[in-house]
Amino acid sequence: MDELDLLKKDWKKQESSYPKLSYNEIYKMIHKKSSSIVKWIFIICIAEFLFWGIINLMLPEGFFDIYEKFHLKTFLTVSYVIHYIVVVGFIYIFYKNYKTIYVIDNTNLLMRKILKTRKIVNYYVYYNIGLYIILSLIFNFVMFSNSETLLDVMNPDHLEIDKEKIFTILLIAQIVAFVLMCGILWLYYRIIYGILLKKLNKNYKELENL
Amino acid sequence: MNKDLEHKFISEFQEHQNIIHKVCRIYTYDQEAHNDLFQEITIQLWKAYPKFRGDSKLSTWMYRIGLNTAITLYRKSKRTIKTQDFDTVLHKIQATKYDNTEEEQLKLMYQAIHQLSDIDKGLIFLYLEDKNYKEISETLGISEVNARVKMNRIKTRLKTILNP
Repeated sequence: MDELDLLKKDWKKQESSYPKLSYNEIYKMIHKKSSSIVKWIFIICIAEFLFWGIINLMLPEGFFDIYEKFHLKTFLTVSYVIHYIVVVGFIYIFYKNYKTIYVIDNTNLLMRKILKTRKIVNYYVYYNIGLYIILSLIFNFVMFSNSETLLDVMNPDHLEIDKEKIFTILLIAQIVAFVLMCGILWLYYRIIYGILLKKLNKNYKELENL
Repeated sequence: MNKDLEHKFISEFQEHQNIIHKVCRIYTYDQEAHNDLFQEITIQLWKAYPKFRGDSKLSTWMYRIGLNTAITLYRKSKRTIKTQDFDTVLHKIQATKYDNTEEEQLKLMYQAIHQLSDIDKGLIFLYLEDKNYKEISETLGISEVNARVKMNRIKTRLKTILNP
């Protein structure tokens, strides 16, 4: 007899040997919390939206006074307004996509929808990093081209210090902060999504490569 | 209203629960994992149930949601306390008696299945459940041709494991 027929026969034979859960057992089960990957992705995405939102709100008041001295305050306010419109747009698109994830879809479609929803949050993070880089470049450009004002801000008591030195320190500090931030982000994505999406990505690739 | 729905779901689910046990049989290796996956599938089914209109059979839904949960949604968790415990799952299954050579062959077969990828496990599961290629392709979201090709590869692979 063919091995697969043998297997099929055995599979059918076992039909009666599976346990029968009682009404109560099932009742208890449907009142437990799910730990599905979609739920985790949703929680983490919300956390990311909040994180980037809060980071912007948490900047100290005095932070903006510096920019005022460089006549950048209007520019900053306008970019903030645009930024929040974009953020709301992102959240809307994210939520719309999230809502289309439906466990009854076929496996291929379900995985595609999950990965698409996830991708939107990735774009959101890229957008934030991009914005950070562009704004840093603009501010640095403006600040260093008004070196007198910059020196005034950095050294309000007009102590006798080396001009060159202060600029070098400022530049190095900014580069270090930037590299550190990129490192943390990279680590975060490797760990969180490495763990969370490994299985999904692998299975999706297998279906796609058919 | 909600209570009625709950009651209806549990009664129907109870009737077809074997489908879910069988999904767990293919995808897990020990009782704890079996229970854990069983619970997650049950939750997913219950969450999707309000949208179930009865235009397809509930069993069809259970195959889909069962496989989708096992392949895509489920993550192995270490929660041993939170899982709803139920026993008597595996010892009965393993107690089935075969004659010696058949028993040996089947053991090898089941071992070989456990080594397959998640997608291949889904295919072999649907095959064992007598689903045709149309249903298999619709469930997994691949073309019928691809389902055939993939199934043939799995069969060949299982045969080589048995007759090296």
